Amino acid sequence: MLDDFNFRVIMEYLPQFLIGLRSTFLISIVSIALALATGIIACACRISGIKIIKYPAIAYIEIIRSTPLLVQIYFLYFGLPTLGLRIPEIQTGIIALMLNSGAYIAEIIRAGINSVDEGQLEAGISSGLNYVQRMRFIILPQALGVTIPPLLGQNIVLVKDSALLSLISVMELTRCGQTMTSERFMPAEAFFTVAFFYMCIYFCLKAMADWSQRKLIFREAY
Amino acid sequence: MIEFKNVNKWFGKLHVLNNINLKISKGEVLVICGPSGSGKSTLIRCINRLEKIQDGEIIVNSSLVHKKSSNLTQLRGEIGFVFQQFHLYPHMTVLQNIMLAPVNVKKISKKEAEKISMKKLDQVGLTGKSGAYPAQLSGGQQQRVAIARGLAMSPEIMLFDEPTSALDPEMIGEVLDVMVNLVSEGMTMCVVTHEMGFAKKVADRVLFMDEGMIVETGTPDEFFDSPKTDRAAEFISKILTH
Repeated sequence: MLDDFNFRVIMEYLPQFLIGLRSTFLISIVSIALALATGIIACACRISGIKIIKYPAIAYIEIIRSTPLLVQIYFLYFGLPTLGLRIPEIQTGIIALMLNSGAYIAEIIRAGINSVDEGQLEAGISSGLNYVQRMRFIILPQALGVTIPPLLGQNIVLVKDSALLSLISVMELTRCGQTMTSERFMPAEAFFTVAFFYMCIYFCLKAMADWSQRKLIFREAY
Repeated sequence: MIEFKNVNKWFGKLHVLNNINLKISKGEVLVICGPSGSGKSTLIRCINRLEKIQDGEIIVNSSLVHKKSSNLTQLRGEIGFVFQQFHLYPHMTVLQNIMLAPVNVKKISKKEAEKISMKKLDQVGLTGKSGAYPAQLSGGQQQRVAIARGLAMSPEIMLFDEPTSALDPEMIGEVLDVMVNLVSEGMTMCVVTHEMGFAKKVADRVLFMDEGMIVETGTPDEFFDSPKTDRAAEFISKILTH
């Protein structure tokens, strides 16, 4: 069986795969950054007591979480142009990933904030600290710690979800695999290589998260 | 110094504070006791508006605490609050816990705040512990840090919400000692506690609450030795025999 596995064709297609890898990597990085910003803003709106920003945030989060990403991508890519708004594939893909991941990140951050004991907030309030100070000194330093592992998980999901962009013909990793398959009919080699590169990105992200966790989180001393 | 005028508060249908009228004067030590759910914690939490009231007036140092528009930042700085569960910030050292409010609310310099904080740590008997994290301290030590944190704002009033109820019996004494010292410095204090020894030793007045009402008030001797109401007598016999 292994005799049938053709490494030569992988080498032949390597330059294309590297282009695909670069594209997946860049799309992911940009989407992650935008999704984090979206998530933080959505979460801030969600937990604020102000109704006109709270309810739109809830609607956004629930709509995204209750529909498949592929449907969201198709809506943006095929739906919006019929309504008169045309965005190129890559940008469409980034917007879809940003909106999708942003909703999940908003909930992750909210869970982190809620995990901080209410009593510490009361201690902050009763010593006269205002809302921003309580967030900055008491809540966020502790929320960050519990938030990093699930945030890493969400970012990994985003990278893998970016494979769906192949369906709107964004030339990323998975799309490269599809191209090679259709040109040479070697799906085993093609998707093995694709999978390998996704793993590489995964381990890079994991290393980054481990590093940031060591740097950013306080460790309770015992 | 603290005045409640016809204060009413409901949690849903539960009438937690029922027409409370109360005056606490400067330097007075008031002990509040009563069965659980009687509204005693709620009462002192209203003083710095950790709880809002629906009806009546609360006036502290001529600030109208019940008014929505009142800016409470300054007032809260003048009132120290000590919780049953300490509520220290676990990610900060003892010193950082104590300095946080003086630096950020009172806007005094870090150097000055550190000096004050060290002094307060001395006062609660924890001189060498400034660099420790809360998790490294015993319950009694944590509660004393919490008291020092309150004192660092140089408050005129200290509120204690069952400060010894979450402690192991052997640690209760060290916390009460710190509180007794505060009394001798003339601090105005409201203490929710069932520590009769403490009440008898330092309280000017004991206030007994039940079902949201102030049932009885009196000097500690009057209250513990010859309670006027059956409800108070029953309560006292219960805490004595437990």
